Amino acid sequence: MNERQGFKFIAVFLNMGWFALFVLIPGLMVAGISFMTRDTGRFFSLPFTLAHYRELLDPVYARVLGQSLIYSLNTTIVCLMISYPFAWILSRGPKHRRALLLMMVIIPFWTSSLIRTYALVILMKANGIINTLLIGTGIISDPLTLLYTDFAVYVGLVYTLLPFMILPLYAVMEKMDPRLMEAARDLGANGFAVFFRVVLPLSLPGVMAGCIMVFLPAMGLFYVPDLLGGAKTMLMGNFIKNQFLTAMNWPFGSAASVFLLLLMGAMILIYFIVSRHFNRDEIL
Amino acid sequence: MTRWLKISWTTSVFAFLYGPLLVLMVFSFNQARYTTSWQGFSLKWYKSLINNPQLLDAFVNSLTVALVSSLIATALGTLGAFAVSRYRFAGRKLFFGLVYSVMMSPDIVMGISLLMLFVTAGLTPGFLTLLAAHVTFCLPFVIVLVHARISGFDPAVVDAARDLGAREQDVFFKIIFPMILPAVLAGWLLSFTLSLDDVIISFFVTGPGFEILPLKIYSMVKLGVTPEVNALCTVLFMLTLAAVSAAHILTKEIKK
Amino acid sequence: MKHWLLLFCLVVFCVPAVAGERLYIYNWTEYMPDEVLAEFQEETGIKVIYTTYDSNESMYAKVKLTRGKGYDVVFPSTYFVHKMRKEGLLSPIDHDALTNFQHLDPALMDQPYDPGNRYSIPYVWGSTALAYNRDQVAPEMMTSWKDLWRPEFKNRLVMNDDLREVLGVGLIVNGFSVNETDPARIETAYESIRKLMPNIRVFSGDSPKQPLLNLEAFAGMVWNGEAYMAAQEFPAIQYAYPEEGAIFWVDSMVIPTGAENKKQAHAFIDFILKPEIAVQVCEYIGYAPANRTAIELMPEEVKNNPTIFPSAQEVKKGEFQTDVGDAILVYERFWERLKTGM
Repeated sequence: MNERQGFKFIAVFLNMGWFALFVLIPGLMVAGISFMTRDTGRFFSLPFTLAHYRELLDPVYARVLGQSLIYSLNTTIVCLMISYPFAWILSRGPKHRRALLLMMVIIPFWTSSLIRTYALVILMKANGIINTLLIGTGIISDPLTLLYTDFAVYVGLVYTLLPFMILPLYAVMEKMDPRLMEAARDLGANGFAVFFRVVLPLSLPGVMAGCIMVFLPAMGLFYVPDLLGGAKTMLMGNFIKNQFLTAMNWPFGSAASVFLLLLMGAMILIYFIVSRHFNRDEIL
Repeated sequence: MTRWLKISWTTSVFAFLYGPLLVLMVFSFNQARYTTSWQGFSLKWYKSLINNPQLLDAFVNSLTVALVSSLIATALGTLGAFAVSRYRFAGRKLFFGLVYSVMMSPDIVMGISLLMLFVTAGLTPGFLTLLAAHVTFCLPFVIVLVHARISGFDPAVVDAARDLGAREQDVFFKIIFPMILPAVLAGWLLSFTLSLDDVIISFFVTGPGFEILPLKIYSMVKLGVTPEVNALCTVLFMLTLAAVSAAHILTKEIKK
Repeated sequence: MKHWLLLFCLVVFCVPAVAGERLYIYNWTEYMPDEVLAEFQEETGIKVIYTTYDSNESMYAKVKLTRGKGYDVVFPSTYFVHKMRKEGLLSPIDHDALTNFQHLDPALMDQPYDPGNRYSIPYVWGSTALAYNRDQVAPEMMTSWKDLWRPEFKNRLVMNDDLREVLGVGLIVNGFSVNETDPARIETAYESIRKLMPNIRVFSGDSPKQPLLNLEAFAGMVWNGEAYMAAQEFPAIQYAYPEEGAIFWVDSMVIPTGAENKKQAHAFIDFILKPEIAVQVCEYIGYAPANRTAIELMPEEVKNNPTIFPSAQEVKKGEFQTDVGDAILVYERFWERLKTGM
């Protein structure tokens, strides 16, 4: 083996080995264990069974699934509504200010979302900032019920995931050639047409990427409903965590996780189809 | 009118993003315990932080894991990015797929899958398992960042060097590496940040006796005791701010 | 760079070996004053690494995951001592190594969940009953478990995050025992609690007193120590024993099988058994110690505090929790349905 192959071997082997050991194998284990039987002594055991997948369809659990899907969907839509104009304004702004504004979006992106969620708790408590201000200025007399509600969970999810929607949108919009829009206008298109026939299609890969980066985590984040939600807010993330760390039902938790992975796979597939159709650019 | 709309929309979004954080930080300096009143500026919560040995332990633990895992991830990832851009090898596409799937995977699935691996292998959750987990989720970011930088590189330079008799190691260390240094450093900083702030994956794979900061904050938040938590969060936020700013400046170098 | 990494790894691996004696304690949140831990460290030189959990179930899961290794002293409740003992997760405790053993209250010893106390030493015992905010709720409104179902409490209750206790309340209001094993009766309890759900604002295992202090909840079912600690901060918080009787339980110290610091664990248990330490613990966390001698050392206000020390009649009216064997699966099933909103 000459030295080029030697170096290549090490570089490739180490990386492939790491991913095989810590990504591929665990992934296969999750899939495998989802077909096993629950065993409180050894976490899982034979025989193989499809019982857990059937259980997912049981109304009790299907409800958690459905609720999580709805929460994630709504969160994604709200994030999109807020971020689309925001990213557009940012990308069309003066060049020198763009870098600074982008940094200001990136900072919350990388800040621990646990800290950011806690900040919301401080705001929304019955004796928290919002209520103190509102009562202090006499706008209301009784504190608002903000914490431990579905509303609080939505605020928490949107707050945590907003930067994840802004950044992909911005990345795509920044690359958009302004001459395309000029050309469209020159050809007689009005504002609406320019948007729907030029801007929107071009931004679609960014929209898809943003949706994936918001929808999937929203399903798995357990500490947002944990800290902000009430007694009845159980989402997928809490559910899976429970199965592994409280109910000790590993096969069932694995089945739910496989479902999440399949969802992720489906979304990525849609992403590739959309971006190939509308645009050569893929930003993922 | 449009201009006013644009300004108010951007300001509102930024207010939403930063407002709660600023409130949190401001009240870490509040003399009073409850946010119902401001009783003057005080550093007492920061002082009690320093005098809390458990917190300091957790902090040191977090820093240790972040440092070691980010170094390993950066080294491994840089090699990986180099290999992917330069060589053809069996499973190259699979590798790319795995890299992206880790980036996209919900943390909870990663957390439980790693937990399964460790428990089935008979390992006791602790520092080493935590380390392995952190390297795993940091790797893709390093690989993608460095790969992006290498892609913009002119292969003619490398060919010229090889013609002049350079060994593969030399090509890597003396030609490519200096060029990609900003990306490597950015990748390192980002890995460090990711590791420092990780909650979900660490929740599943850490063991007794190795308490890390985010998990400590998590239990402190649930107990909701004193603004000590605020002080702790502020410190962590400042650290993140420093690391991210540095990384951002370095990433701008990549765009050049 | 490789040398750097190697050096770092060497340091990281050697540090634990170089450090002195250590003890890993795994306990409920808000269950031990920091001063007691500090005193222990000063007196013995053993470094304490203290982590917490919010429910028996998550404690059990973690101990199982680490195969009993890694934690030296854990604090399970009665029926979990039974369960863990049966599954071989506990290591026998050497009574001879405990110089303060004689201070323990014989009434709490040698119970069916651990005959002869071979595997556990009682720490504290306590009750689960009603707590409320006197400013918002009149005392007459909180005399029975059934009062929790009042429509005035819509979205204003906090409950423990414990399936045995929440379903236990359901069992009590239907006239059954809290240690019921009949699935039909447990289902009746589940139906009652289902009707209670609209009133429940939040479940909390870490700190049930928080929602009361935060004014998010006005009443609920909490442990007596939580009510005691809450009242220290906010005197309006009251604790009341319901007329049907409260739920009683004992938490004990155990040493998991794989514990690596068994000697230090015994030293710690012995330290906790010191009467002065038991007094300190009780005054801070508000739970009655299993230490008979300690009670004599206490100041009058503490000895006579009904929240910490219920009268003999209250204890008689109430019921101690015991193991329910396989029926726990029935409880778990209904608990999941409650939590998922069914």
